[in-house]
Amino acid sequence: MSKAYKTYQRAADLGTPAPNAGTKLVTLTIDGDDVTVPEGTTVLRAAALNGINIPKLCATDSVEPFGSCRLCLVEIEGMRGLPASCTTEAKAGMKVTTQNAKVAKTRRNVMELYISDHPLDCLTCATNGDCELQDMAGAVGLREVRYGYAGENHFEAKKDTSNPYFTFDPSKCIVCSRCVRACEEVQGTFALTIQGRGFESKVSPSQNQPFLDSECVSCGACVQACPTATLTENTIIAAGKPEHSVITTCAYCGVGCSFRAEMKGQEVVRMMPNKDGHANHGHSCVKGRFAFGYATHKDRIKKPMVRETIHEPWREVSWDEAFTFAAGKIKSIQAKYGKGSVGGITSSRCTNEETYLVQKLVRAAFGNNNVDTCARVCHSPTGYGLKTTLGESAGTQSFDSVMKSDCVIVIGANPTDAHPVFGSQMKRRLREGAKLIVVDPREIDLVRSPHVQASYHLQLRPSTNVAVVNALAHVIVTEGLEKKDFIAERCDAEGYETWREFIVDPQNSPENVAKETGVDARLLREAARLFASVPNGAIYYGLGVTEHSQGSTTVMAIANLAMCTGNLGREGVGVNPLRGQNNVQGSCDMGSFPHELPGYRHVSNAAVREQFEKEWGVRLLAEPGMRIPNMFDAAVAGQFKALYVQGEDVAQSDPDTHHVTNALSSLECMIVQDIFLNETAKFATVFLPGSSFLEKNGTFTNAERRISPVRKVMEPLAGLQDWEVTQRLAQALGYPMNYSHPSEIMDEIARLTPTFTGVSYAKLDELGSIQWPCNANAVNGTPTMHIGEFVRGKGLFKVTPYVPTDEVTTRKYPLLLTTGRILSQYNVGAQTRRTENVQWHDEDVLEIHPHDAENRGIEDGDWVGLQSRAGETVLRAVLSERIQPGVVYTTFHHPFSGANVVTTDNSDWATNCPEYKVTAVQAYKVTGMSDWQKKFTEFTDEQLEFLRRARSPEAVG
Amino acid sequence: MKPMDVDKLVRMANQIAANSDYGPDKDKLAAAVADHLTRFWTPPMRAAIIEGHRRKVLDLSPLAARAVEKLAPVAEPA
Repeated sequence: MSKAYKTYQRAADLGTPAPNAGTKLVTLTIDGDDVTVPEGTTVLRAAALNGINIPKLCATDSVEPFGSCRLCLVEIEGMRGLPASCTTEAKAGMKVTTQNAKVAKTRRNVMELYISDHPLDCLTCATNGDCELQDMAGAVGLREVRYGYAGENHFEAKKDTSNPYFTFDPSKCIVCSRCVRACEEVQGTFALTIQGRGFESKVSPSQNQPFLDSECVSCGACVQACPTATLTENTIIAAGKPEHSVITTCAYCGVGCSFRAEMKGQEVVRMMPNKDGHANHGHSCVKGRFAFGYATHKDRIKKPMVRETIHEPWREVSWDEAFTFAAGKIKSIQAKYGKGSVGGITSSRCTNEETYLVQKLVRAAFGNNNVDTCARVCHSPTGYGLKTTLGESAGTQSFDSVMKSDCVIVIGANPTDAHPVFGSQMKRRLREGAKLIVVDPREIDLVRSPHVQASYHLQLRPSTNVAVVNALAHVIVTEGLEKKDFIAERCDAEGYETWREFIVDPQNSPENVAKETGVDARLLREAARLFASVPNGAIYYGLGVTEHSQGSTTVMAIANLAMCTGNLGREGVGVNPLRGQNNVQGSCDMGSFPHELPGYRHVSNAAVREQFEKEWGVRLLAEPGMRIPNMFDAAVAGQFKALYVQGEDVAQSDPDTHHVTNALSSLECMIVQDIFLNETAKFATVFLPGSSFLEKNGTFTNAERRISPVRKVMEPLAGLQDWEVTQRLAQALGYPMNYSHPSEIMDEIARLTPTFTGVSYAKLDELGSIQWPCNANAVNGTPTMHIGEFVRGKGLFKVTPYVPTDEVTTRKYPLLLTTGRILSQYNVGAQTRRTENVQWHDEDVLEIHPHDAENRGIEDGDWVGLQSRAGETVLRAVLSERIQPGVVYTTFHHPFSGANVVTTDNSDWATNCPEYKVTAVQAYKVTGMSDWQKKFTEFTDEQLEFLRRARSPEAVG
Repeated sequence: MKPMDVDKLVRMANQIAANSDYGPDKDKLAAAVADHLTRFWTPPMRAAIIEGHRRKVLDLSPLAARAVEKLAPVAEPA
């Protein structure tokens, strides 16, 4: 058993949260011992910190104390009665006695009352052996219940099993309110309440609805907080208490939550958010905590397969045969069409080590720079824009930084859906009083949700980000609100002067751009003044910024805005890209772009190339290779013939599906490495079965540059971890790769990458996670970047002219389609569609404003044809006022929806990141599938039949 | 083998030029656009646009055209 495996025990609980960081300490006496704690610490926590675990039920360190259960009573010299230690603040000189006859008797009496209305089915209870109520009954020495059990009770209360992941059994509830407080304080949804008074008190989701029908977002914080078996994971009900646990990192979004995979043998029985997790501090969302069942789904492909063309059935083969077949194809294609006729796509879902190996394979074994990654279609503008202005292609802060922000701008991001755990943290800060400005065409939940309301929602028309961000800066500079000292000290003077001259031009004024952007000039001015007036202003943005024809320009405009308000280089501020997939940051760091070697160094840099050439033993090309869209164009032109795709699904995720599938069909060989036969794999000729995050070792890097360990908790279903697959493919191509463990790959990365010099698996084990840069200058990593000086030296203001997109509405296409994500689904849905998360979202729908719907005779629930100049698909209509008239919205989690059949090949000028967020369309009522959907269905049926015929007879049944 | 879709390259080059077009010194701007093409475009893409421009068949904006003229000749692609 590896060192990472720990015998299961419930996470330590100090009873109440740590007080807000202060420097003052107080010393009190607890049971005769002097204990020194930070001011504001409760007596309960102070005792726990000193190893004394005062019995408790309603207190837990994830929520504020409540003082209802009366179990944590103590005696304090000079205080009357028995105060609750959870709500009593430790004071200097206090003398506390946690146990004596009086205290013990009172606690026993309290417990006796609880147990008089609690079913005594401990031996068959789902949480037997892992129940705080059971533990406390033992701790207080309860031996009898004098009241008996025949009195009025809740034993017959009906279970709520509506949620697919957990069961609510009110008969076991002690009404401690931990679930209610977790929903409020940790998650910030306020879906739960205690309904009724006295004996009638009960936990109620929304208006006493079943959990699934309520406002509950199924984050599981309530289940985690429950001290009894009232709220219990269904996996625990089925399997019982875990026997060991392993700390690992979630494979969903860019928040990168740390989890304890709680195990029985090789079976995951619960994913428990890690309280020591630096990105998530013990919280999670519905995906990370519950939607892990895909890893063992029946659709997993466990054997390699090959075929000559996509028009014939697959053949299951041995690993050796698959590698020989794949390598033979690559070599013969290169011999026939040239070295540059092949390429690879690295995965933002795979580990750093795996991504590094794929780009190494392309550069060293294929002998070209034709490597790209899915960041091309999401955050490539972030890399370009931040490198240009600040000097490093990454966000500037930690997530925790938001807790020191006074005003937050959220542009083109929907954190409560797409980055839910960070969304909860941001809401916590907003409830504490920080101001919020939302810049988004759609009324996202943050604009108005319980106890959160944006001060300004600048509801701009899609494609006008640059005009709006420029206008914000225009107001700040023309009204003299810019931070002159910061600019003079930290930024390039010539760049600033040029930019200043540009930004003060009246063409950038809110009034001038109002017609184009649709944003009220007065509101925009007020928002700008608010942002400029606070001590700490932070900007968070997502794909609503990057996935535009001016994505890179907006990123630079955001950097300009942060610099001109002095909001960089300390906590509470910064430019914060919210990364989509779990390892987008890492895949970019690892040299996945065709023009950059690991660490964002251009391939034309001879000195850098030389280091890699020495380590890798090959000559490297000094010219950039193809980006993904270049590969597709070249494939259609017959110049690009083979592609190795690891863990990406370009056929579903990339825009202009007709063009993508045309390109994929033009290839002579496509090697897909994935856990499922995804949409792309249907065009493949070699399938190499991948391993899920539970089946391999490695690291992911989240949106705050945090490198976190991914640990193998079960054997790879197909026998090899993904890095081993790439290594074997390289060997088959005749290029030596001989790593025995991913730690050796990380050691190589550290040797070659200045920002990773200090990173090692040993240090990750020691620190838990590391934020790069980690090197001699920052031994334990860098939570906040650009302190004192920008990475590029002086911050560079770049002029950011607004250039309207070519994708404009016309009489034929009068609406603008914009796309986004939903909480329960992840990206192309390959994982989440194979979990019970489909109960929340089983199809993508088209949100359309009632006015636009009425004009077209469309009613809620109708089938609607959606046509652009690229293609046509059909979706079900949902009437919504979250979007303005003239704008329609959909998600892209289901392949059949064909959202990307409609999106076009327009892209960001600097990086070719597709303009997913703006497509001119027409919508009209229809009665059936689009032609594309009919063809898609036929093709899918054919390919699934080819898969079925590949499988051995026993697997077919 | 079909030729590369030069129209798309022209669209991309014009877009890069349009987004870089601020300031009086057009020669400096053209150099910046040329630098962008050198840093991010593959040699065959650059060769295709250079050749198209030489034959005067492309619909390049003035700044994009000036940038293409600044591009170094491209060696035969691998």
